[in-house]
Amino acid sequence: MKSSRIRVILVALVIASITVLILDLRGGRGPFSGVRTVAESIAGGLERAAATAFSPITGAANWWSTVRDQSGQIQALTAENEKLSTQLRQQVNDAGRVAELDGLLKVASVGGYTIVPAEVIAVNPVQDFSWTVTIDAGRNDGIEQDMSVINGQGLVGRVLKTTATTATVVLLVDPSSAVGARIAGSQEIGIVSGTGEQDVLEYQLLDPRADVRTGDALVTFGSKGGRPFAPGLPIGEVTQVQGTAGQLTRIAVVRPYVDISRLSIVAVVTRPPRSDPRDSVLPRVTVTGSAAPIPVTDGSTPAPLTLGGSASPTPTPSVTELAPSVATPSPNLLQPSPAG
Amino acid sequence: MWRQWLLVGVSLVTSVIVQVTLLSRLGLPGATPDLTLVTVIALAFALGRMAGAASGFVGGMVLALAPPATTTLGLQALVFMAVGFIVGGLIDPRDRTVPITIAIVSGSVAGATFVVAVFDALLGLASVPWNRMGGLLVASALYAAILTPLVIPGIGRLARKLEPVKTTVIGS
Repeated sequence: MKSSRIRVILVALVIASITVLILDLRGGRGPFSGVRTVAESIAGGLERAAATAFSPITGAANWWSTVRDQSGQIQALTAENEKLSTQLRQQVNDAGRVAELDGLLKVASVGGYTIVPAEVIAVNPVQDFSWTVTIDAGRNDGIEQDMSVINGQGLVGRVLKTTATTATVVLLVDPSSAVGARIAGSQEIGIVSGTGEQDVLEYQLLDPRADVRTGDALVTFGSKGGRPFAPGLPIGEVTQVQGTAGQLTRIAVVRPYVDISRLSIVAVVTRPPRSDPRDSVLPRVTVTGSAAPIPVTDGSTPAPLTLGGSASPTPTPSVTELAPSVATPSPNLLQPSPAG
Repeated sequence: MWRQWLLVGVSLVTSVIVQVTLLSRLGLPGATPDLTLVTVIALAFALGRMAGAASGFVGGMVLALAPPATTTLGLQALVFMAVGFIVGGLIDPRDRTVPITIAIVSGSVAGATFVVAVFDALLGLASVPWNRMGGLLVASALYAAILTPLVIPGIGRLARKLEPVKTTVIGS
Protein backbone atom coordinates (compact mmCIF):
# COMPACT_ATOMS: atom_id res chain seq x y z
CA MET A 1 0.00 0.00 0.00
CA LYS A 2 1.31 3.45 -0.86
CA SER A 3 2.46 5.63 1.98
CA SER A 4 0.31 8.54 0.86
CA ARG A 5 -2.79 6.39 1.04
CA ILE A 6 -1.75 5.10 4.45
CA ARG A 7 -1.45 8.64 5.67
CA VAL A 8 -4.90 9.58 4.36
CA ILE A 9 -6.59 6.58 6.00
CA LEU A 10 -4.73 7.11 9.25
CA VAL A 11 -5.64 10.78 9.42
CA ALA A 12 -9.26 9.90 8.64
CA LEU A 13 -9.34 7.34 11.46
CA VAL A 14 -7.77 9.75 13.95
CA ILE A 15 -10.21 12.49 13.02
CA ALA A 16 -13.12 10.03 13.21
CA SER A 17 -12.25 8.83 16.70
CA ILE A 18 -11.56 12.33 18.04
CA THR A 19 -14.86 13.56 16.59
CA VAL A 20 -16.72 10.65 18.18
CA LEU A 21 -14.94 11.30 21.47
CA ILE A 22 -15.80 15.00 21.51
CA LEU A 23 -19.42 14.45 20.49
CA ASP A 24 -19.89 11.70 23.06
CA LEU A 25 -18.16 13.73 25.79
CA ARG A 26 -20.95 16.28 25.70
CA GLY A 27 -23.11 13.73 27.48
CA GLY A 28 -26.86 13.37 27.49
CA ARG A 29 -28.57 11.78 24.55
CA GLY A 30 -25.83 12.48 22.06
CA PRO A 31 -25.87 11.69 18.35
CA PHE A 32 -24.68 8.18 19.09
CA SER A 33 -27.54 7.06 21.30
CA GLY A 34 -29.18 5.35 18.31
CA VAL A 35 -25.96 3.59 17.33
CA ARG A 36 -25.40 2.64 20.95
CA THR A 37 -28.88 1.16 21.32
CA VAL A 38 -28.50 -1.02 18.23
CA ALA A 39 -24.96 -2.08 19.12
CA GLU A 40 -25.94 -2.85 22.70
CA SER A 41 -28.86 -5.02 21.61
CA ILE A 42 -26.66 -7.03 19.24
CA ALA A 43 -23.80 -7.34 21.71
CA GLY A 44 -26.25 -8.13 24.51
CA GLY A 45 -27.66 -11.05 22.53
CA LEU A 46 -24.19 -12.36 21.80
CA GLU A 47 -23.23 -11.97 25.45
CA ARG A 48 -26.27 -13.95 26.59
CA ALA A 49 -25.28 -16.81 24.30
CA ALA A 50 -21.64 -16.59 25.32
CA ALA A 51 -22.45 -16.49 29.02
CA THR A 52 -24.46 -19.68 28.64
CA ALA A 53 -21.58 -21.33 26.83
CA PHE A 54 -19.05 -20.18 29.43
CA SER A 55 -21.22 -20.97 32.44
CA PRO A 56 -19.32 -24.17 33.32
CA ILE A 57 -16.06 -22.20 33.49
CA THR A 58 -17.40 -19.23 35.41
CA GLY A 59 -19.30 -21.59 37.67
CA ALA A 60 -16.12 -23.51 38.42
CA ALA A 61 -14.23 -20.27 39.07
CA ASN A 62 -16.96 -19.18 41.43
CA TRP A 63 -16.88 -22.52 43.19
CA TRP A 64 -13.10 -22.35 43.52
CA SER A 65 -13.13 -18.89 45.05
CA THR A 66 -15.73 -20.17 47.50
CA VAL A 67 -13.70 -23.22 48.41
CA ARG A 68 -10.48 -21.28 48.83
CA ASP A 69 -11.51 -19.41 51.95
CA GLN A 70 -13.89 -21.96 53.37
CA SER A 71 -12.16 -22.63 56.68
CA GLY A 72 -12.12 -18.95 57.59
CA GLN A 73 -15.67 -18.71 56.44
CA ILE A 74 -16.83 -21.57 58.66
CA GLN A 75 -15.39 -19.87 61.72
CA ALA A 76 -16.90 -16.54 60.83
CA LEU A 77 -20.24 -18.15 60.11
CA THR A 78 -20.27 -20.08 63.38
CA ALA A 79 -19.59 -16.90 65.31
CA GLU A 80 -22.19 -15.05 63.32
CA ASN A 81 -24.69 -17.84 63.81
CA GLU A 82 -24.35 -17.65 67.59
CA LYS A 83 -24.71 -13.90 67.55
CA LEU A 84 -27.74 -14.10 65.31
CA SER A 85 -29.54 -16.76 67.30
CA THR A 86 -29.13 -14.64 70.43
CA GLN A 87 -30.50 -11.69 68.54
CA LEU A 88 -33.33 -13.77 67.20
CA ARG A 89 -34.43 -14.81 70.66
CA GLN A 90 -34.49 -11.21 71.70
CA GLN A 91 -36.40 -10.21 68.65
CA VAL A 92 -39.34 -12.54 69.16
CA ASN A 93 -40.59 -10.03 71.66
CA ASP A 94 -39.94 -7.06 69.39
CA ALA A 95 -41.60 -8.76 66.45
CA GLY A 96 -44.94 -8.70 68.19
CA ARG A 97 -44.65 -4.98 68.77
CA VAL A 98 -43.55 -4.38 65.20
CA ALA A 99 -46.48 -6.34 63.82
CA GLU A 100 -48.80 -4.26 65.96
CA LEU A 101 -47.24 -1.05 64.72
CA ASP A 102 -47.26 -2.16 61.10
CA GLY A 103 -50.93 -2.96 61.44
CA LEU A 104 -51.40 0.57 62.66
CA LEU A 105 -49.52 1.94 59.67
CA LYS A 106 -51.34 -0.32 57.21
CA VAL A 107 -48.09 -1.71 55.96
CA ALA A 108 -48.47 -5.12 57.47
CA SER A 109 -47.74 -8.07 55.24
CA VAL A 110 -46.20 -5.91 52.59
CA GLY A 111 -42.69 -6.95 53.48
CA GLY A 112 -42.17 -8.63 50.12
CA TYR A 113 -40.46 -6.87 47.31
CA THR A 114 -41.80 -7.72 43.89
CA ILE A 115 -38.72 -8.88 42.08
CA VAL A 116 -37.50 -10.27 38.78
CA PRO A 117 -34.58 -12.68 39.15
CA ALA A 118 -31.69 -12.41 36.71
CA GLU A 119 -28.17 -13.62 36.21
CA VAL A 120 -25.02 -11.60 35.69
CA ILE A 121 -23.72 -12.39 32.21
CA ALA A 122 -20.97 -9.83 31.68
CA VAL A 123 -18.73 -7.68 33.84
CA ASN A 124 -16.90 -4.53 32.89
CA PRO A 125 -13.12 -4.95 32.71
CA VAL A 126 -11.23 -3.61 35.72
CA GLN A 127 -9.21 -1.18 33.60
CA ASP A 128 -12.39 0.64 32.62
CA PHE A 129 -12.60 2.06 36.16
CA SER A 130 -16.37 1.81 36.23
CA TRP A 131 -18.14 -0.93 38.15
CA THR A 132 -20.95 -2.11 35.93
CA VAL A 133 -22.35 -5.52 35.04
CA THR A 134 -24.82 -6.81 32.48
CA ILE A 135 -27.74 -8.98 33.56
CA ASP A 136 -29.82 -11.26 31.38
CA ALA A 137 -33.17 -9.56 31.93
CA GLY A 138 -34.33 -6.47 30.11
CA ARG A 139 -37.31 -4.43 29.04
CA ASN A 140 -39.16 -7.58 27.99
CA ASP A 141 -39.06 -8.73 31.60
CA GLY A 142 -40.43 -5.47 32.90
CA ILE A 143 -37.09 -3.97 33.85
CA GLU A 144 -36.78 -0.23 33.56
CA GLN A 145 -34.13 2.33 34.24
CA ASP A 146 -33.44 3.23 37.88
CA MET A 147 -34.75 0.11 39.55
CA SER A 148 -32.92 -1.31 42.55
CA VAL A 149 -30.94 -4.50 42.08
CA ILE A 150 -30.50 -6.79 45.06
CA ASN A 151 -29.29 -10.26 45.88
CA GLY A 152 -29.64 -12.50 48.93
CA GLN A 153 -27.19 -10.37 50.88
CA GLY A 154 -28.45 -6.88 50.15
CA LEU A 155 -28.33 -3.99 47.73
CA VAL A 156 -26.25 -4.56 44.62
CA GLY A 157 -26.88 -1.39 42.64
CA ARG A 158 -29.32 0.19 40.25
CA VAL A 159 -30.30 -0.31 36.63
CA LEU A 160 -28.53 2.24 34.43
CA LYS A 161 -29.89 1.34 31.03
CA THR A 162 -31.80 -1.46 29.36
CA THR A 163 -32.06 -3.24 26.07
CA ALA A 164 -34.90 -5.62 25.18
CA THR A 165 -33.17 -8.63 26.72
CA THR A 166 -30.35 -7.27 28.89
CA ALA A 167 -29.79 -4.47 31.37
CA THR A 168 -26.69 -2.68 32.58
CA VAL A 169 -26.38 -2.33 36.35
CA VAL A 170 -24.20 0.23 38.15
CA LEU A 171 -22.84 -1.41 41.27
CA LEU A 172 -22.87 0.22 44.68
CA VAL A 173 -19.07 0.50 44.69
CA ASP A 174 -18.88 2.53 41.49
CA PRO A 175 -17.46 6.00 42.25
CA SER A 176 -20.49 7.60 40.62
CA SER A 177 -22.97 5.75 42.81
CA ALA A 178 -24.66 7.50 45.75
CA VAL A 179 -27.43 6.06 47.91
CA GLY A 180 -29.45 7.69 50.64
CA ALA A 181 -29.04 5.51 53.72
CA ARG A 182 -29.99 5.40 57.35
CA ILE A 183 -28.57 3.53 60.27
CA ALA A 184 -30.94 0.72 61.13
CA GLY A 185 -31.12 1.38 64.85
CA SER A 186 -30.75 5.12 65.31
CA GLN A 187 -32.37 6.30 62.06
CA GLU A 188 -29.51 8.71 61.37
CA ILE A 189 -29.55 9.54 57.69
CA GLY A 190 -26.68 10.15 55.30
CA ILE A 191 -25.29 9.33 51.91
CA VAL A 192 -23.40 6.19 50.98
CA SER A 193 -21.13 6.63 48.00
CA GLY A 194 -18.86 4.24 46.16
CA THR A 195 -15.11 4.64 46.23
CA GLY A 196 -14.16 2.47 43.29
CA GLU A 197 -12.67 -0.10 45.65
CA GLN A 198 -14.33 -3.45 45.96
CA ASP A 199 -15.01 -3.61 49.69
CA VAL A 200 -15.14 0.02 50.69
CA LEU A 201 -18.07 2.43 50.71
CA GLU A 202 -18.15 5.87 52.28
CA TYR A 203 -20.99 7.01 54.46
CA GLN A 204 -21.33 10.72 54.95
CA LEU A 205 -23.61 11.68 57.82
CA LEU A 206 -25.92 14.62 57.47
CA ASP A 207 -25.98 15.26 61.20
CA PRO A 208 -22.41 15.84 62.38
CA ARG A 209 -23.29 14.99 65.96
CA ALA A 210 -24.91 11.70 65.13
CA ASP A 211 -23.88 8.66 67.06
CA VAL A 212 -22.29 6.10 64.76
CA ARG A 213 -20.54 3.01 65.92
CA THR A 214 -18.58 0.28 64.28
CA GLY A 215 -20.92 -2.55 63.45
CA ASP A 216 -23.94 -0.37 62.76
CA ALA A 217 -26.01 -1.66 59.85
CA LEU A 218 -27.09 0.63 57.03
CA VAL A 219 -30.29 0.28 55.02
CA THR A 220 -31.56 2.34 52.12
CA PHE A 221 -33.58 5.37 52.97
CA GLY A 222 -35.74 4.87 49.89
CA SER A 223 -36.23 7.24 47.01
CA LYS A 224 -39.43 8.89 45.82
CA GLY A 225 -41.57 6.20 44.27
CA GLY A 226 -38.99 3.58 45.17
CA ARG A 227 -36.65 4.65 42.39
CA PRO A 228 -33.78 4.29 42.06
CA PHE A 229 -33.72 2.75 45.51
CA ALA A 230 -36.51 0.93 47.30
CA PRO A 231 -36.65 1.56 51.05
CA GLY A 232 -35.22 -0.77 53.64
CA LEU A 233 -32.68 -2.67 51.55
CA PRO A 234 -29.59 -3.66 53.52
CA ILE A 235 -26.44 -1.91 52.28
CA GLY A 236 -23.57 -2.70 54.59
CA GLU A 237 -21.91 -2.47 57.95
CA VAL A 238 -19.86 0.37 59.43
CA THR A 239 -16.30 -0.81 59.88
CA GLN A 240 -14.61 2.42 60.84
CA VAL A 241 -15.70 5.90 61.87
CA GLN A 242 -13.55 8.84 60.90
CA GLY A 243 -13.71 12.18 62.67
CA THR A 244 -15.14 12.97 66.06
CA ALA A 245 -18.69 13.94 66.92
CA GLY A 246 -19.39 17.57 66.08
CA GLN A 247 -16.86 17.73 63.27
CA LEU A 248 -18.30 19.40 60.17
CA THR A 249 -18.20 16.36 57.92
CA ARG A 250 -18.15 12.94 59.43
CA ILE A 251 -17.43 9.96 57.30
CA ALA A 252 -17.78 6.31 58.16
CA VAL A 253 -16.21 3.52 56.17
CA VAL A 254 -18.77 0.88 55.25
CA ARG A 255 -18.25 -2.65 54.05
CA PRO A 256 -21.04 -3.67 51.67
CA TYR A 257 -22.94 -6.86 52.51
CA VAL A 258 -22.81 -7.89 48.88
CA ASP A 259 -19.61 -9.54 47.69
CA ILE A 260 -19.13 -7.81 44.35
CA SER A 261 -16.54 -10.31 43.13
CA ARG A 262 -18.98 -13.21 43.39
CA LEU A 263 -22.11 -11.75 41.87
CA SER A 264 -24.13 -14.34 40.05
CA ILE A 265 -27.86 -14.42 40.71
CA VAL A 266 -29.42 -11.05 41.39
CA ALA A 267 -32.97 -9.72 41.49
CA VAL A 268 -34.39 -6.47 40.18
CA VAL A 269 -36.97 -4.84 42.44
CA THR A 270 -39.76 -4.01 40.04
CA ARG A 271 -41.99 -2.80 42.84
CA PRO A 272 -40.91 -1.73 46.31
CA PRO A 273 -42.87 -3.04 49.31
CA ARG A 274 -44.68 0.24 49.73
CA SER A 275 -44.50 3.39 47.73
CA ASP A 276 -45.16 5.80 50.54
CA PRO A 277 -45.81 4.35 53.97
CA ARG A 278 -47.17 7.61 55.33
CA ASP A 279 -49.94 7.80 52.79
CA SER A 280 -51.18 4.34 53.56
CA VAL A 281 -52.69 5.56 56.82
CA LEU A 282 -54.96 7.94 54.98
CA PRO A 283 -58.66 7.02 55.36
CA ARG A 284 -59.12 6.23 51.68
CA VAL A 285 -57.31 2.96 52.18
CA THR A 286 -59.96 0.48 53.17
CA VAL A 287 -59.20 -2.30 55.51
CA THR A 288 -58.35 -5.50 53.75
CA GLY A 289 -56.63 -8.66 54.75
CA SER A 290 -55.86 -9.62 58.28
CA ALA A 291 -54.63 -6.30 59.54
CA ALA A 292 -56.53 -4.69 62.37
CA PRO A 293 -58.69 -1.65 61.61
CA ILE A 294 -56.74 1.52 61.79
CA PRO A 295 -57.66 4.21 64.22
CA VAL A 296 -57.51 7.30 62.04
CA THR A 297 -57.69 10.31 64.27
CA ASP A 298 -58.22 13.42 62.18
CA GLY A 299 -58.54 11.94 58.74
CA SER A 300 -55.80 13.92 57.02
CA THR A 301 -52.33 13.34 58.30
CA PRO A 302 -51.21 10.61 60.60
CA ALA A 303 -50.39 11.58 64.11
CA PRO A 304 -46.62 11.80 64.51
CA LEU A 305 -45.62 8.35 65.52
CA THR A 306 -42.79 8.28 67.94
CA LEU A 307 -40.95 5.33 66.64
CA GLY A 308 -37.61 6.10 68.22
CA GLY A 309 -38.60 4.89 71.63
CA SER A 310 -39.29 1.29 70.86
CA ALA A 311 -36.58 -1.29 70.69
CA SER A 312 -36.35 -1.80 66.94
CA PRO A 313 -39.20 -0.12 65.10
CA THR A 314 -37.96 -0.81 61.60
CA PRO A 315 -36.40 -4.19 61.30
CA THR A 316 -33.98 -4.60 58.45
CA PRO A 317 -35.52 -6.93 55.91
CA SER A 318 -34.34 -10.39 56.56
CA VAL A 319 -32.76 -12.57 53.96
CA THR A 320 -35.94 -14.52 53.50
CA GLU A 321 -37.76 -11.45 52.34
CA LEU A 322 -35.15 -10.88 49.69
CA ALA A 323 -34.95 -14.45 48.53
CA PRO A 324 -35.75 -14.73 44.86
CA SER A 325 -39.20 -16.12 45.35
CA VAL A 326 -41.27 -13.64 43.47
CA ALA A 327 -43.39 -12.15 46.17
CA THR A 328 -47.02 -11.58 45.42
CA PRO A 329 -48.12 -8.16 46.45
CA SER A 330 -50.58 -8.04 49.28
CA PRO A 331 -54.07 -6.59 48.85
CA ASN A 332 -52.87 -3.35 50.41
CA LEU A 333 -50.16 -2.97 47.84
CA LEU A 334 -52.53 -3.40 44.96
CA GLN A 335 -54.52 -0.39 45.91
CA PRO A 336 -53.29 2.80 44.34
CA SER A 337 -51.53 5.06 46.72
CA PRO A 338 -53.42 8.36 47.06
CA ALA A 339 -50.32 10.43 46.44
CA GLY A 340 -49.36 8.37 43.43
CA MET B 1 -9.35 -7.78 0.81
CA TRP B 2 -12.85 -8.33 2.21
CA ARG B 3 -11.70 -11.52 3.85
CA GLN B 4 -9.20 -9.52 5.86
CA TRP B 5 -11.92 -7.24 7.10
CA LEU B 6 -14.09 -10.23 7.92
CA LEU B 7 -11.23 -11.62 10.00
CA VAL B 8 -10.78 -8.25 11.72
CA GLY B 9 -14.48 -7.90 12.50
CA VAL B 10 -15.17 -11.44 13.63
CA SER B 11 -12.04 -11.79 15.74
CA LEU B 12 -12.54 -8.45 17.47
CA VAL B 13 -16.23 -8.95 18.25
CA THR B 14 -15.43 -12.44 19.56
CA SER B 15 -12.60 -11.15 21.72
CA VAL B 16 -14.74 -8.39 23.22
CA ILE B 17 -17.53 -10.86 24.02
CA VAL B 18 -15.12 -13.36 25.55
CA GLN B 19 -13.46 -10.58 27.53
CA VAL B 20 -16.64 -9.28 29.19
CA THR B 21 -18.52 -12.55 29.60
CA LEU B 22 -15.66 -14.83 30.59
CA LEU B 23 -12.36 -13.15 31.46
CA SER B 24 -13.70 -10.35 33.61
CA ARG B 25 -16.18 -12.67 35.32
CA LEU B 26 -13.34 -14.89 36.50
CA GLY B 27 -12.47 -12.12 38.95
CA LEU B 28 -8.73 -12.45 38.44
CA PRO B 29 -6.65 -10.30 40.78
CA GLY B 30 -5.29 -6.94 39.67
CA ALA B 31 -6.75 -6.46 36.22
CA THR B 32 -8.88 -8.05 33.53
CA PRO B 33 -6.91 -9.76 30.75
CA ASP B 34 -7.16 -7.35 27.82
CA LEU B 35 -7.96 -9.89 25.13
CA THR B 36 -9.28 -7.21 22.78
CA LEU B 37 -6.03 -5.28 22.68
CA VAL B 38 -3.97 -8.45 22.33
CA THR B 39 -6.17 -9.39 19.35
CA VAL B 40 -5.61 -5.92 17.86
CA ILE B 41 -1.87 -6.43 18.21
CA ALA B 42 -2.14 -9.89 16.67
CA LEU B 43 -4.01 -8.45 13.70
CA ALA B 44 -1.39 -5.70 13.37
CA PHE B 45 1.38 -8.31 13.37
CA ALA B 46 -0.41 -10.40 10.76
CA LEU B 47 -1.77 -7.72 8.45
CA GLY B 48 0.57 -4.76 8.84
CA ARG B 49 0.31 -1.37 10.43
CA MET B 50 -2.49 0.02 8.28
CA ALA B 51 -4.84 -2.87 9.06
CA GLY B 52 -3.49 -2.73 12.62
CA ALA B 53 -4.62 0.87 13.00
CA ALA B 54 -8.03 0.06 11.54
CA SER B 55 -8.34 -2.97 13.85
CA GLY B 56 -7.50 -0.80 16.81
CA PHE B 57 -10.22 1.63 15.85
CA VAL B 58 -12.79 -1.15 15.43
CA GLY B 59 -11.72 -2.95 18.61
CA GLY B 60 -11.87 0.19 20.73
CA MET B 61 -15.30 1.07 19.37
CA VAL B 62 -16.76 -2.42 19.91
CA LEU B 63 -15.35 -2.50 23.45
CA ALA B 64 -16.95 0.85 24.29
CA LEU B 65 -20.29 -0.15 22.75
CA ALA B 66 -20.78 -3.65 24.17
CA PRO B 67 -22.65 -3.69 27.48
CA PRO B 68 -21.86 -3.22 30.33
CA ALA B 69 -19.39 -0.56 29.13
CA THR B 70 -20.41 2.97 30.02
CA THR B 71 -17.23 4.67 28.83
CA THR B 72 -17.18 7.50 26.35
CA LEU B 73 -16.85 6.35 22.76
CA GLY B 74 -13.66 7.12 20.89
CA LEU B 75 -10.95 7.23 23.54
CA GLN B 76 -10.14 3.54 23.51
CA ALA B 77 -10.49 3.56 19.73
CA LEU B 78 -7.87 6.29 19.48
CA VAL B 79 -5.40 4.63 21.84
CA PHE B 80 -5.87 1.11 20.40
CA MET B 81 -5.46 2.58 16.91
CA ALA B 82 -2.13 4.12 17.89
CA VAL B 83 -1.04 0.77 19.35
CA GLY B 84 -2.07 -1.09 16.17
CA PHE B 85 -0.23 1.36 13.95
CA ILE B 86 2.97 1.44 15.99
CA VAL B 87 3.13 -2.31 16.61
CA GLY B 88 2.31 -3.19 13.02
CA GLY B 89 5.31 -1.34 11.68
CA LEU B 90 7.65 -1.75 14.60
CA ILE B 91 9.65 -4.77 13.63
CA ASP B 92 10.24 -6.95 10.62
CA PRO B 93 8.18 -10.14 10.95
CA ARG B 94 11.24 -12.28 10.30
CA ASP B 95 13.04 -10.80 13.32
CA ARG B 96 10.12 -11.42 15.63
CA THR B 97 11.24 -14.02 18.12
CA VAL B 98 8.99 -15.25 20.88
CA PRO B 99 10.54 -13.18 23.71
CA ILE B 100 10.41 -10.02 21.58
CA THR B 101 6.77 -10.68 20.70
CA ILE B 102 5.82 -11.17 24.33
CA ALA B 103 7.73 -8.05 25.33
CA ILE B 104 6.00 -5.98 22.66
CA VAL B 105 2.54 -7.25 23.59
CA SER B 106 2.99 -6.81 27.36
CA GLY B 107 4.59 -3.41 26.96
CA SER B 108 1.91 -2.10 24.64
CA VAL B 109 -0.98 -3.43 26.75
CA ALA B 110 0.44 -1.84 29.93
CA GLY B 111 1.23 1.36 28.04
CA ALA B 112 -2.24 1.56 26.49
CA THR B 113 -3.89 0.92 29.88
CA PHE B 114 -1.85 3.73 31.38
CA VAL B 115 -2.56 6.17 28.53
CA VAL B 116 -6.30 5.44 28.68
CA ALA B 117 -6.21 6.02 32.46
CA VAL B 118 -4.38 9.33 32.00
CA PHE B 119 -6.91 10.53 29.43
CA ASP B 120 -9.78 9.28 31.60
CA ALA B 121 -8.44 11.40 34.45
CA LEU B 122 -7.66 14.45 32.26
CA LEU B 123 -11.07 14.44 30.61
CA GLY B 124 -12.86 13.57 33.85
CA LEU B 125 -14.40 10.42 32.37
CA ALA B 126 -13.71 8.20 35.35
CA SER B 127 -12.19 8.47 38.78
CA VAL B 128 -8.92 6.63 38.35
CA PRO B 129 -7.54 4.82 41.41
CA TRP B 130 -3.91 5.92 41.09
CA ASN B 131 -2.87 4.11 44.27
CA ARG B 132 -3.66 0.80 42.57
CA MET B 133 -2.28 1.76 39.18
CA GLY B 134 1.06 -0.02 39.64
CA GLY B 135 -0.58 -3.34 40.38
CA LEU B 136 -3.05 -2.85 37.58
CA LEU B 137 -0.29 -2.26 35.02
CA VAL B 138 1.82 -5.18 36.20
CA ALA B 139 -1.18 -7.50 36.19
CA SER B 140 -2.35 -6.43 32.74
CA ALA B 141 1.17 -6.87 31.32
CA LEU B 142 1.38 -10.33 32.88
CA TYR B 143 -2.02 -11.41 31.56
CA ALA B 144 -1.11 -10.04 28.13
CA ALA B 145 2.06 -12.15 28.19
CA ILE B 146 -0.04 -15.22 29.00
CA LEU B 147 -2.52 -14.44 26.23
CA THR B 148 0.22 -13.89 23.63
CA PRO B 149 0.96 -17.54 22.75
CA LEU B 150 -2.78 -18.27 22.73
CA VAL B 151 -3.78 -15.47 20.37
CA ILE B 152 -0.89 -14.27 18.19
CA PRO B 153 -0.10 -17.56 16.35
CA GLY B 154 -3.76 -18.37 15.82
CA ILE B 155 -4.61 -15.03 14.26
CA GLY B 156 -1.42 -15.17 12.18
CA ARG B 157 -2.31 -18.61 10.83
CA LEU B 158 -5.88 -17.53 10.03
CA ALA B 159 -4.60 -14.46 8.22
CA ARG B 160 -2.20 -16.52 6.11
CA LYS B 161 -4.92 -19.00 5.28
CA LEU B 162 -7.35 -16.32 4.19
CA GLU B 163 -4.88 -14.15 2.28
CA PRO B 164 -1.90 -16.34 1.38
CA VAL B 165 -0.08 -13.87 -0.84
CA LYS B 166 -0.53 -10.56 0.82
CA THR B 167 0.27 -11.30 4.44
CA THR B 168 2.95 -9.33 6.23
CA VAL B 169 3.61 -7.23 3.16
CA ILE B 170 0.98 -4.56 3.49
CA GLY B 171 2.15 -1.28 4.87
CA SER B 172 5.50 -2.54 6.02
